[in-house]
Amino acid sequence: MSDYIEDDNLKPSVRKQFFRRRKSCPFSGQNAMKIDYKDTRTLSKFVSERGKMMPSRITAVSIKKQRILAVAVRRARFLALMPYVNG
Amino acid sequence: MQRFYETIFIARQDITANQVETLAKHYTGVIKEFGGEITKTEFCGLRNLAYKIKKNRKGHYVLMNIAVKPEGIKEVERQMKINEDVLRYLSVRVDTLDNAPSALMQNRGFREDFAREEARPASKEKASTEETVEELAV
Repeated sequence: MSDYIEDDNLKPSVRKQFFRRRKSCPFSGQNAMKIDYKDTRTLSKFVSERGKMMPSRITAVSIKKQRILAVAVRRARFLALMPYVNG
Repeated sequence: MQRFYETIFIARQDITANQVETLAKHYTGVIKEFGGEITKTEFCGLRNLAYKIKKNRKGHYVLMNIAVKPEGIKEVERQMKINEDVLRYLSVRVDTLDNAPSALMQNRGFREDFAREEARPASKEKASTEETVEELAV
């Protein structure tokens, strides 16, 4: 824990340099992607190399859409379109 | 009351495309008996399965858009359950039936997809570091 704080204090100037605007949800808003359990190409973007769901804090999917996405991934797995475990 | 369903079933790899078609025709007949209709039938051909199902590595995917009352879909599902040529089936109730070709038709075989995603993890990692840095900055 203390390590983190030290690190934080070390380089404040560098942090500012790396500031990025928060990405918005890829499934919300106009011309957003549709969540479809048949569309494995889209779904695979939100799944790790191993086939596990990516956390929404990394993919910036909204909470509501993350739930819908999870259902879509489950359906795709059931239909053997996507693996339950990869590798 | 009629409802909209999207049904996908996977047939065994050993049966011919013709048999798959007759199978789909049979289910169409069942739906018609219940006064429903099928707006689209998609034969997605023999696709690789993501994992083995009953020792099958491949399967014939068939997607059907169905408008029928719940009893009809229940009967079709019952028959699919009995038929040993059907490995899996999934019916999803939808608000509207989309009769455009589905995503299943566009990308064949999941393996190609995953190969294409090989380049992905690097960019994703970058994204995650950005995210944490940003959290620190806030």
